[in-house]
Amino acid sequence: MRKKIGSALVVGAGISGIRSALDLAELGYQVKLIDRAPNLGGTLAQLDYQFPTDHCGMCKMLPLVERDSASQFCLRKGLFHENIDIMLNTELVQMEGEPGKFEVTLRQRPAVVDPELCIGCGECSRVCPVEVADEFNAGLAKRKAVYLPVPHNIPNNYVVDLDSCTLCGECEKICPTGAIDFRWEARRQFRILVVDDELIVRDSLKDWLIEEGFDVETAESGPDALDKIAKQAYHLMLLDIKMPEMDGVEVLKRSKDMRPDLPVVMMTAYATVETAVEAMKIGALDYLMKPFDPDTLVPLVIKLYENLERAGEFTMEVGAVILAAGFDSFDPAGKGSNTYGYGEIPNVVTSIEFERIVSGTGPYHGKLVRPSDGKEIRKVAWLQCVGSRDMHADADYCSSVCCMFSVKEALLAKERSNGQVEATIFYMDMRTFGKDFQRYRDKAEKEYGVSFQRGRVHSVELKQLGGDPTIVYMDIDGTAHEEVFDLVVLAAGQRPPAGSDLLAEMTGVDLNQWGFCQLQPFSLSCTSRDGVYAAGSFSGLRDISESVIQASSASLQASRLIHSKGGGLAEASESEVAFRDVSREPPQVMVALCTCGDSLAQAAHLDEVEAFVSDLDYVSQVHRFESICTQEGWSQLEEAMEENGANRLLIGACMPYVYTRKLRDLGAKIGLNPALMEVVDIRTSVFPGNNFSQEQASREIRLALAMGVGKLKGMDPSLSAATPIVQKALVVGGGIAGMTSALGIAEHGFEVFLVEKAEELGGNLRRLYRTLEGNPPQELLEQTISKIQKHPKIHLYTNAKVLHSHGRVGCFITTIEKEDGSGETLEHGVTILATGGKEATTESYGYGQSESIVTQHQLEEQLHSGQINPAELGAVVMIQCVDSREEPRNYCSRICCSSALKNSLYLKEQNPEMNVYILYRDIMAYGFMETYYTQARQAGVIFIQYDVDKKPKVTVENGGVSTVVTDPILGREVMLEPDLLVLSTGVAADGQGQLAEIFGVETNQDGFFQEAEYKWRPVDFLQEGIFTCGMCHSPRNITESIAMAEATAQRALRILATMRVTAGSIVAEVRHVLCSLCEKCIEACPYGARWRDDDEGKIMVDELSCQGCGSCAAVCPNSASVLRGYRDQQIFSVIEGALEEIF
Amino acid sequence: MSEEKREIAEGHTAEDLMASIRENIRACMQCGTCTGSCGSAFAMDLTPRQMWRMIQLGLVDEILASRTFSLCSSCYYCTLRCPRGLPLTETIHALKQLAVAKGLAEKKGARFYQTFLETVRRYGRVREMELMARYFLIMKSPVLPLRFTPLGMRLMMKGKVSPEMPKFFGSGKLDAIFRKVKELEARS
Repeated sequence: MRKKIGSALVVGAGISGIRSALDLAELGYQVKLIDRAPNLGGTLAQLDYQFPTDHCGMCKMLPLVERDSASQFCLRKGLFHENIDIMLNTELVQMEGEPGKFEVTLRQRPAVVDPELCIGCGECSRVCPVEVADEFNAGLAKRKAVYLPVPHNIPNNYVVDLDSCTLCGECEKICPTGAIDFRWEARRQFRILVVDDELIVRDSLKDWLIEEGFDVETAESGPDALDKIAKQAYHLMLLDIKMPEMDGVEVLKRSKDMRPDLPVVMMTAYATVETAVEAMKIGALDYLMKPFDPDTLVPLVIKLYENLERAGEFTMEVGAVILAAGFDSFDPAGKGSNTYGYGEIPNVVTSIEFERIVSGTGPYHGKLVRPSDGKEIRKVAWLQCVGSRDMHADADYCSSVCCMFSVKEALLAKERSNGQVEATIFYMDMRTFGKDFQRYRDKAEKEYGVSFQRGRVHSVELKQLGGDPTIVYMDIDGTAHEEVFDLVVLAAGQRPPAGSDLLAEMTGVDLNQWGFCQLQPFSLSCTSRDGVYAAGSFSGLRDISESVIQASSASLQASRLIHSKGGGLAEASESEVAFRDVSREPPQVMVALCTCGDSLAQAAHLDEVEAFVSDLDYVSQVHRFESICTQEGWSQLEEAMEENGANRLLIGACMPYVYTRKLRDLGAKIGLNPALMEVVDIRTSVFPGNNFSQEQASREIRLALAMGVGKLKGMDPSLSAATPIVQKALVVGGGIAGMTSALGIAEHGFEVFLVEKAEELGGNLRRLYRTLEGNPPQELLEQTISKIQKHPKIHLYTNAKVLHSHGRVGCFITTIEKEDGSGETLEHGVTILATGGKEATTESYGYGQSESIVTQHQLEEQLHSGQINPAELGAVVMIQCVDSREEPRNYCSRICCSSALKNSLYLKEQNPEMNVYILYRDIMAYGFMETYYTQARQAGVIFIQYDVDKKPKVTVENGGVSTVVTDPILGREVMLEPDLLVLSTGVAADGQGQLAEIFGVETNQDGFFQEAEYKWRPVDFLQEGIFTCGMCHSPRNITESIAMAEATAQRALRILATMRVTAGSIVAEVRHVLCSLCEKCIEACPYGARWRDDDEGKIMVDELSCQGCGSCAAVCPNSASVLRGYRDQQIFSVIEGALEEIF
Repeated sequence: MSEEKREIAEGHTAEDLMASIRENIRACMQCGTCTGSCGSAFAMDLTPRQMWRMIQLGLVDEILASRTFSLCSSCYYCTLRCPRGLPLTETIHALKQLAVAKGLAEKKGARFYQTFLETVRRYGRVREMELMARYFLIMKSPVLPLRFTPLGMRLMMKGKVSPEMPKFFGSGKLDAIFRKVKELEARS
């Protein structure tokens, strides 16, 4: 168990927040993870299918080492880690202090339903008379005022939405566990004095507030009010300003003399607002503006009440804060003209709504039917850039992710309907800039027949009342089309989350011009405030993969800070828990039944159940406890276990998933391996909604217990071995990614071997002189190199190469050849491959035939060296996507469009008279880069779009270059005779294949390293302990490479941080006598945890890499491969237990 | 517009106008929103998107030879919807001015506008019957009135136009405005 000094706060529990929290928790820090929503998961909770696999895979983010520290099941349902404390309905309200020692104040909205008591039976929701739109289903379905925010969450507690609740109190009455408490008492004790000379104001305020449960008194004048104050203490005074006799300000002054602590809120008409402001200077808390409207006034008073009572507020100290506040979706019906008729025309939906339509947990159970009339959907249009790339929507940026999710949605629609759905995507540029995006798009177009129509659609119309949405658009050559669709999906862009300005002010971070978090140069996680880091879309528009990388980068920064302030990783004290060896004892199962007060006894025949269980084999005793979930009940159970010496424990209670941490603590206390303890659910069967008779309920409970006993008695009692870790890292590649990664690890106090094949560090960064944003890359290079050279923990090998490597996570042995030709053998626990990529070479477009034809890199270098003088150039043509985005290099190199924008803006700046033409297919100006695209257009750069089957033609004659390209808008050929032709050849793999062989990892078809999982494990290899970052993984820019490098350092540290790592309790093993060495299991293992040891002639399992998925056991023809905790005998006895009643 | 005026305009204004037109359109990314929104696009020979493209590529003569810009009804849909926030309708106005300045306004669209403005200047409002009469005279085409006869009949039947001339209620009152505009045009 790792316990480290230091803690962090993660604000926002979406995918980035969860990743950051898990990262820090895995390093051993205590993490407080908060979210203002009542559920975990952020936007991801609503999305069932993720590109490129078109299913989920969130669970792949769960810890891979020390995985027993978290419960291991669907992460969409819930997250339980011993170092993570989750607080929902909670907001950060104050932050003080300095980096490394912040004092943060959190406020949790008081929960009407007590999560500790709620058993999720749903009775409350059944009786609730209120029905409102369900946010989880993006408003496509209805929910009650007391509801489950996410239907599949565990633990699934009901929550009350006080905004729509009518306070009828029905749910409070019916709740079987008394979990619902509206706290009427507390409100009734809150006395409010309303002072106004007008009877109507007094009376209406009184009525409204009494209805909300407050105690209200009124006073009709200043002196009357002062009398009342003198006699009695109030908690709040609402005070009118303009009154005869004595005005409000005077009353305020006098009341302050009498009761200085009484909070006063002034009530004012518009005319006296200034007086109200004055009043605030002499001690009024706030002011309310007349005329009053109960819908706005009442919530204001309730908010004041909550603020005054400081309900749910508490303060804690943390070392660092990570802001993963996420994003809001653009509301197409909001500000502006709503030309798409969203919310007005039926069957115009947003992308999120479409996700809910196709979702199996959605309102239509995954059937493709329209929201308005339930008609089968057969023709769908996706409209891109709704609220993005639109000055009118104040968005000169691209939302980055919509292109891909629209393609994914179109594919899903095709798949759901066996290709019946006609899917059209209307777009401006299809931004397929990520790894494998282009092939996915091509698959959608060519294999599935999704139609891509270039052109922005301006509006959706309804040609006749009750008709279908109609779109008028022009195709590229100017022909008008009018088409009717069953459904129009708006790819709504992203906006900063509500309240981000407040959050930024509170935490002291800067926002950019669109309200997203402003990042520091060359970082995807550092904000303007030291100690506060950003993760995910809060700093702008990221898909899951990028968010995960960025979240890990943020957690590395947080950890680095906490470490530097003394909350060190290396100082971790290792307290090893020694479990009792019970392998020679016969199983003795103690069964603990939670009676849940007496409610279980009422619903089932407990005596009979107890008698039955006592008779089962190996059950040594049965105990009943009133409520195991309480501290008291749990101590009783602990005592019983300690006294009777049983070596297996079966608990029959509710919500088994919440016991992970408790069982581990219990195990540590009584010295029993928690793998020998099991919790089964005996509560669900007696839920009121089931309407089971006592006999039926008893039978269900008997079965559950019998199965639990069956599983426990066959449980292998041997202990998981702890593997020693060599706490050193090897980083291959000394470019910016490799260097950043090495520094990240070394700064936590671990040794790093950094191997670079060239003479000097820096890699591709050596050749970059400017960035689009204007940050100087050479300064970054210098600083980083000097840090590397000075760092005592980094052993640098230049002119060196890796010859051979073997070993497993925790202990790799690698031989390198050094500069002088001698060899050296390095021992290390983790490996990071950061070998970079290179600018692709080309033979297309006359490259090599003329000095006037150069690549983007060459242009940048020659501009820097002065070889090219912009003043001498009359015209420059740039061709994008040279040899790329078509087979065999069918991927987007991601950086060429920004390079072209950067270089063309520079050329135009140096020589505004120059004509610059960029011939492109789709401009990949994703995110905030869009604004530079706009700038380039404004600067007069001419962009001409071309199709892959109509490429520009280049002829070289007498050293002169001419280019002919077809302009699709005019449908004519344009002839250009540039002084310089610049080719964007993109990025190609650079020798990854050889390294892949040495380290036993995979490359993809383009020669780049193949990560374990694109979205959820973007920097891991399947082989645990080996990681990759930078351009050897996929093309990316400097900042993105740095973020990725930080993520790898973070992933490496979670292994390096301890001397020993214990495998999970559920791992596979091989019964060698039965094994026929067919190696099927090696192929089946998704984690690369198996290999054949030729010396021994055996199949070996790496227990640290094995995640206990059981694929090997399933494919093994001889049952030689087995999963500990799921052996055949065990499963048979579980089945027997289940069938006992029948046979 | 007098011959003399045109000379001045051509020497100086045309270039300036052209520069501002190009400036306006530079950030256009050919998304086609304008074209999709345009109520008159069906009658245009170049689509608005094509026209912007030509401005970027410097093919002004072709634009002025087309009827696209003169068909613009100034509904401002394109300006309202342009995701780049470009002043498209204004640019079309500039193109119209350019055409006039370049003396390319011999076409019927421009003549119609001129006649229209002339009646407005004289009387402070449009008198449909007189407008059409003057237009036919300028066009010097004997068949033109015949083409408009059905439309004219329909409008008259519905009472939209009346053969009776309304009173001269604004005679000469707009002269000052027209003078000012001319001054401004000469200066810009």
